[in-house]
Amino acid sequence: MTDWNCASTEERLSDYLDGTLSPAEAAAFSAHAGGCDPCGKLVAQVGGLVHQMRALDPLEVPPQLIPKILESTLGPTRTQTAGWRRWLAWIPQLWQPRFAMGVVTVAATVLIVLYTTGMSPAKLKKADLSPANVFRTANRQVHLTYARSAKFVNDLRVVYEIQTRLQPDAEPSPSITPAPAPQQNPQPPSSVNPQEKSQTSPHPGHSQSRNATMLASLLNTNWAGDFAATMLGDTTRSPR
Amino acid sequence: MEPDAQLVQGCLRGEGPAWEELVRRHTRRVFNLCYRFTGNATEAEDLSQEVFLRIYRTLASYRPAFGAFPTWLTSVTRNLLVDHYRRTRRDRLTDSIEDAMPTLENKQSAARTPDKLALASELSAQLQQGLLRLSPELREAVILRDLQGLDYSEIQGVLEVPEGTVKSRINRGRIELARILEEMGLRPQN
Repeated sequence: MTDWNCASTEERLSDYLDGTLSPAEAAAFSAHAGGCDPCGKLVAQVGGLVHQMRALDPLEVPPQLIPKILESTLGPTRTQTAGWRRWLAWIPQLWQPRFAMGVVTVAATVLIVLYTTGMSPAKLKKADLSPANVFRTANRQVHLTYARSAKFVNDLRVVYEIQTRLQPDAEPSPSITPAPAPQQNPQPPSSVNPQEKSQTSPHPGHSQSRNATMLASLLNTNWAGDFAATMLGDTTRSPR
Repeated sequence: MEPDAQLVQGCLRGEGPAWEELVRRHTRRVFNLCYRFTGNATEAEDLSQEVFLRIYRTLASYRPAFGAFPTWLTSVTRNLLVDHYRRTRRDRLTDSIEDAMPTLENKQSAARTPDKLALASELSAQLQQGLLRLSPELREAVILRDLQGLDYSEIQGVLEVPEGTVKSRINRGRIELARILEEMGLRPQN
């Protein structure tokens, strides 16, 4: 081992540092490094470097890295500890004013619907809540409402027709000779049209006779029978 | 059965906690390898994330018979690092890689107040600058041997080169790094 040189020292440096040289090689290595300045310096330098690198603590992992890895692999719905919290996360939202307003609005709507369909909470029975009963009540209420509004519109039409007939003839009416209509009229004009009655109250005698004349001419038309029937039905049923 | 193999079995059964434990056990190793190789904390974080994503997807292909889990993990990391190195070679020529580096080292020294540790982190930063001036082949060999503490056969498995090449690269890497540090005005002490 006398031919140990600088090249072989450099080549086997790591083996020497790792302690994997044979005893004879190690002895030759030490002998050369001890006598050769550059080699001795190199051995000291590399030995020191390796020693320092091995003593170095690994760097700490950035705190956000592990959560990021878990999120990218398992997805955002991963953590078990946060699991039960997520299920209860909606509770704080209940205290928001917006939600409270929503609840109040819905409650008001339900009350209005109940009231209009004729279900009063005080008289509510268990049987009323069955779907068939609810449907029946609602259906009846809808029909009643429809009938009422239809009747109201019909009444309005009658009043309007009478008024339009009466108005244009208001001027020439005195010249027209009264027809024998008053006898045909089964009802006194005052009872037919309360509005007319109230309007004509200051001069009952004159206006009554005039109204009777107008009504008579009105009833002479083709649809007079229908109207009379309607009005009769109206007046006879109205006290109900 | 070793703990890693048990955890891998758990992961393959779809157990989230097993995967979480596996990640917690090995993130430090992967992150350190990535940081030492790239010298950039942000890049190291992104690469670590990429490594675990790849591990997660290919876990079924891992066989304990082929080697320990950490070796397989290191191998996957190293392959990604090499890909990353090739991908970013052009960017690095124009970019200064050292720019982002001192931030992490400073954070380390701030977190650990004792002087000895501050000195160690100072050395760590200087060492990092030296490592970045090594060629990638020598750099990865030195990191795996002296910073990650792998033995020759493990490194041989990771790098997939003959044992003689591994030994030679480690030796040349150490000598070159010592010379670079000397050029930088640093003299390692025993």
